[in-house]
Amino acid sequence: MSKVYFSTWNGELINNINKPEDEWEKSAYNLPAQYDDHRDSKAFIGWDGVALFDEDVDVIRLAMEYAAQYQEYSEACGRCAPGRWGGQILYDQLDKIARGEGAVADLNHLKEIGSSMQVTSKCEIGKTVPNPILDLMLHFEDTFMECINEQKKSKHYDDEIGYIAKITAPCTDACPSSVDIPGYIEGVRDLRMDDSLKATRQTMPLAHVCGRVCPHPCEDACRRTNLDEPVSIMALKRLGADWETDHGFEFFHPMEKKPNNGKRVAIIGAGPAGLTAAYYLAAEGVHCDVYEELPVLGGEVAVGVPEYRMPIDKYNQDIECVKDMGVNFIVNSKITADEMRRFETEYDATMVATGTRISKKVRCDNERPEVEGYWSSIEMLDQINLWDKYGIGEPVDLTGKTVVCVGGGFTSMDVVRCSIRANAKKVIMIYRRDEKTIIRNTTYEEYHEAVEEGVEFIFHSAVNRMNDEDDVLKSLDFDMFELVPNPDGGRAQLVLIEGAGFNLEVDYLIPAVSQAADLKLLPQEWDIEMTSWGTIKTNGKDYMTSRAGIFAAGDCEYGPMTIVNAVGQAKRAASVISRYVQTGEITLTDDEIMEDHLRKLKVYDKKEKVTGWLPGLAREHSEVVDVDIRKYNNDEVNLGFTQDEAMSEAERCMRCYYIAMVAT
Amino acid sequence: MINFKINDISVEAEKGETILTVARKNDIYIPTMCYISKTTPCASCRMCVVEAEGVEGFVLSCNTPPTEGIEITTNTAELENERTNIMKLYDVNHPLECGVCDKSGECDLQNKTLEFNIERQNFSARDQNRDRQNWGLINYNPSLCILCEKCVHVCNEVIGDDAIEVKFGGYSSTIIPKNADTLDCTFCGECIAVCPVGALVSSDFEYTANAWELSRVPATCAHCSAGCSLEYETRHSGINSVDEIYRVKNNFEFTSLCGAGRFGYDFDNKVVKEVDSFKLGIEALKNSDAIRFSSIITNEEAHILELLKEKLGIKLFNDDARKFAEFMKSYSSISGKLHHSGSLDAIKQSDAAIIIGSRIATDNPGVRYALTTAAKHNGAKVVYAHPMEDVLMQNVITQFMKYEVGTEEGVLALLAHALLVDADLNEKEKAFFDDLDLGYIYAETNLGEEEFSFMMKSFTRTKNRVLIIGNDLIAHERSDNIAKLAALIEKYSSFSLVIVPREVNTLGCSLINSLDIDEDIANVVGYNAKGSFVISSQEGADLAVAALNQQEGTVVNIDNKVLPTNVALSFNGYTLNDIANALDINKENTVDYTKELSKNSGFKTVEFDDLENFLSKMGDDVRGYLLDEVTCQADGELEELDDLPEFNGTIIYHADPVLQFNNLTKQAAQLEKDNFLRGSKQFSVAAKISDGDKVEVTFGSTTIQREFKLDSELKGTVALNPTFDIGVDSSRYRFVKSKIVRVV
Repeated sequence: MSKVYFSTWNGELINNINKPEDEWEKSAYNLPAQYDDHRDSKAFIGWDGVALFDEDVDVIRLAMEYAAQYQEYSEACGRCAPGRWGGQILYDQLDKIARGEGAVADLNHLKEIGSSMQVTSKCEIGKTVPNPILDLMLHFEDTFMECINEQKKSKHYDDEIGYIAKITAPCTDACPSSVDIPGYIEGVRDLRMDDSLKATRQTMPLAHVCGRVCPHPCEDACRRTNLDEPVSIMALKRLGADWETDHGFEFFHPMEKKPNNGKRVAIIGAGPAGLTAAYYLAAEGVHCDVYEELPVLGGEVAVGVPEYRMPIDKYNQDIECVKDMGVNFIVNSKITADEMRRFETEYDATMVATGTRISKKVRCDNERPEVEGYWSSIEMLDQINLWDKYGIGEPVDLTGKTVVCVGGGFTSMDVVRCSIRANAKKVIMIYRRDEKTIIRNTTYEEYHEAVEEGVEFIFHSAVNRMNDEDDVLKSLDFDMFELVPNPDGGRAQLVLIEGAGFNLEVDYLIPAVSQAADLKLLPQEWDIEMTSWGTIKTNGKDYMTSRAGIFAAGDCEYGPMTIVNAVGQAKRAASVISRYVQTGEITLTDDEIMEDHLRKLKVYDKKEKVTGWLPGLAREHSEVVDVDIRKYNNDEVNLGFTQDEAMSEAERCMRCYYIAMVAT
Repeated sequence: MINFKINDISVEAEKGETILTVARKNDIYIPTMCYISKTTPCASCRMCVVEAEGVEGFVLSCNTPPTEGIEITTNTAELENERTNIMKLYDVNHPLECGVCDKSGECDLQNKTLEFNIERQNFSARDQNRDRQNWGLINYNPSLCILCEKCVHVCNEVIGDDAIEVKFGGYSSTIIPKNADTLDCTFCGECIAVCPVGALVSSDFEYTANAWELSRVPATCAHCSAGCSLEYETRHSGINSVDEIYRVKNNFEFTSLCGAGRFGYDFDNKVVKEVDSFKLGIEALKNSDAIRFSSIITNEEAHILELLKEKLGIKLFNDDARKFAEFMKSYSSISGKLHHSGSLDAIKQSDAAIIIGSRIATDNPGVRYALTTAAKHNGAKVVYAHPMEDVLMQNVITQFMKYEVGTEEGVLALLAHALLVDADLNEKEKAFFDDLDLGYIYAETNLGEEEFSFMMKSFTRTKNRVLIIGNDLIAHERSDNIAKLAALIEKYSSFSLVIVPREVNTLGCSLINSLDIDEDIANVVGYNAKGSFVISSQEGADLAVAALNQQEGTVVNIDNKVLPTNVALSFNGYTLNDIANALDINKENTVDYTKELSKNSGFKTVEFDDLENFLSKMGDDVRGYLLDEVTCQADGELEELDDLPEFNGTIIYHADPVLQFNNLTKQAAQLEKDNFLRGSKQFSVAAKISDGDKVEVTFGSTTIQREFKLDSELKGTVALNPTFDIGVDSSRYRFVKSKIVRVV
């Protein structure tokens, strides 16, 4: 709910013109009335309408400046005839009226060109740019006519006014890393894989990884869903990365590395967050030392995500890409509080990106880590991956063993599927909730592939007690629950079913319910503020901790979450740090401020009716290795799209770019 | 098959087809400004919008596949209105210089402006001042550019240069050289061909003629074995009162042409008739012991030469065609048939390709473009086996196998070993592979077992596979066994086989002529080749004859297709047929021999005038005919592998730069004649020469002078030596040991 003077946002019509301010009707949307802590917005104009927060807005100039942004922000556009010429004509005609030289015929031309753009443009920018302009022409016709009739300039034509615009898209907005998704899909469609990869790498250096193992929240915000099914966004990302790797090209960086500026940043942890921050900081000319506790780089994606989901040679390409930007890595280096104190003086800033590498307990009776057969998921996956991918340590052989994993998220899926590949006799997943929820928490593919491979899922269940003999795990007692709907409409309650419990002889209990952060590296006396769930607290915008110069991003800040979330946080943190090390100030760029505003407003509208596209074109599915083959090896399960599949899938993308603009 | 309706007509679509392609197939007109059949849709013009029953808004037909049962309408008043509006926009500020514009008369913008009856500009946009760009052989005028993006798509998806891109900027969007200040590409000129307006033009042709003043002569390109179709555009020149070729065009909608084909057309013979030379020529022939000829001639000329051989009882030398014929003979002894199975089309359709023994991008651009198409459109896995990398091929190749110079027989044995691992071989063939000393071959070729397993893994999901064999294998000392191995792969695997002939009609000559081993004897008449008496279309001939663009006849290209070519410019002198007639081999016209070409080699009894020479409107190549397959005795056996040779010392590789092929391209005015000896830093250190040095290069009995150019794109210890200007013996293996001395 925002206080507005006038709004046509998303079809609403709030008109408080000539009403006293205390009687103003509010908008139903989270419009950015306050631009940042020292600037109010005067107007917000975008794909879906226009909102004025102030009576004094020069609506003609607002329309004109919005049309100008279309020319300005045309990294996405200038790609079709209606958009390219139409956009310029909109601007020129509006400018003509605004500078007091307009004619009535110009209004007609604006309407004519605007409506042509709305139906024939290539992307949503071209289709939507006329929307708010036509809205303003309709609702403020008198203002336009006054300028035309009196041949006078619009009221603030010559004044200095800040206009801040941003390009977005529903998918980009939903992506925690704000990846230019329509951009990289356009690259695939145009068979310009270098452009595709560069579009991804603007905000996401891990193109191989997030083209494979991302839970793709973007696909839940894909406008194509309103028409038929979402575009297979994630799978299209790896095309560019695979192309670069296949052809042995040097890395396609989307930016030129700036010369070294003498500033130094220490990054603790070489996982997705650490890699990302290092990549973008190095590009800004900042020297980065990345300290990694393990002997290998890559963090949890390297030692947590199994080879069959994320082949290490591909991940290593992403890591090499970061190295290629000129990042220094130091492995086998667990950072202590003493070193953190030293870093504070030696570096201009320090970023903690240590993830969450402590497996939480399942909370059953007799849950003692010293019992043989009780095996934390992190340790188990470490051992498996270090052996499989690097030949470090020793292999895991579960021949003849019964393995029980308690979980429901990605980590637990990795545990059970790795157990199958380690030749376990029986693999059971214990999950408190139902099938639908496990699919929602992971992916449809992940769950079904696990079932196919022979994992037994017991839903609505929990471990009640570990039974051991001389500290050796022998069996587990299980409880069974039923889901009782909450009459008040909230989350359904789990209610124990008396007498339904059972006992199973097992060899291993592997807890994979969640992970916690190990933050012993933070010096006590720094007294760094923490969240209630034991992670480092920041404001979620600039990622600086309560101590100046110490930043945190990724799971150690947010709690165990996705790779793409860690990347998004780290990218933002890197941006903030790059300015902080120069100025000592914590600032966000206009682009970042707009990004946060739009995320609050939400770009995707699942109720919107999509027109101008033929519905019923099915989403492509890439081939997966047959279950009888993949069960027995570690080769990548998902073979990725063939070129044909990729191209037809890319053609389904509707290029839903939008421009939003704030006047301050 | 998807069944649906367009304008109430029931139509069918195959997977991969769009509404537009189906409409075109069914003769239903949908206007477009940016669509080009051979690339992915540019989707920039938006003219092709259509309506779909039950769907709100307009649907773009060029990139939308139809759904089952959908009813499409292409021609409502609303659609016409929007298309007209788009045309109005296209015309805003388009310079009114049709009077002088090269494109006038064949301009899509002009045509559509008239079609949509756009008579005036109702609204305006501020005009922009944008300078014309000169990019060497190509000029770009951004004011005329409509940003259809055809040029960008073709350059990237079909040619593979990826040398231009759109600089986005709304109204000020423009085409720019990619990652460079000026255009740095192979200058195929395909961007000129596809440009629907006068924005991209040939700088040589610009402002010299109007489209409607030019006569078009369909022909076959003379420069390599791809046998690309082209049209010579000629006009009577006012200055010296003769016809001249003004430019070359191609059917860009479906085919492509390299720069040598497009810009290297002026190799016609302008010498006038000399009766005395003719008499001398007849005498020379009568007294000769042999005729030496090049493969840059027609089948009919080759046939006449064969008749002369019989008539005069002399020998025929053409080592290029002879080596090719021998290679094919060995091939046939295993495959039991005369012709290789693959074609340029098979390469285009492939999703797996192995190319071995050729610097293919410059040896045969047609093959390169087919590979680019396969790599881009099918995501083909392309293995490139050669001792030298080629940066031109990097965006096509997915695996580079760098083998040691001279070890091709071993490489092919390893390749066959990998590809035929599960093949149902006979006992002897099995024994051949069982007896291979793999350790030795891996060591000598410098290839690893893992390279072959990587290759096999990358081919896992592929369906259309092709093996391409280059000249290094044909000219190899062990070509006999290599050909057998290639035939074995074709026979037992899913790979089709393409053997790349060197010259435009190497293949035709190899089928028509019975050739003798070239001996260094005195009384040899050269026909477009060296000799004690030279009959040639080129400079320095003792008797001048017509060049390939001055005669009609046929050639056989890499696809085993017999392709007609026609007279672009008349020649006022003698032809080989005149000589034959003087020697009592009587036929009125050269092309009277077309129907007499040997059936035993697969030629058909077809009159020259009955041969078609065009592409259908859907792009089917109906030029000439495909040679009939001929069965032959499959009595060959693999020989035991020979010891693999070692090439030490200073090695050069005979390979021409882009745009150069032979002495025809050498004399073409527009083509760059870059004849540097090019080598890497490593080579320059080993040969003790530096950039810019004048050097004397000695190989065999030949010594030439070159300037050395350090080339940062090259690696390794082999240098590239052009041959277009020196005419080396094309039957020889192209890697040669040489002595290089700096000339002070």
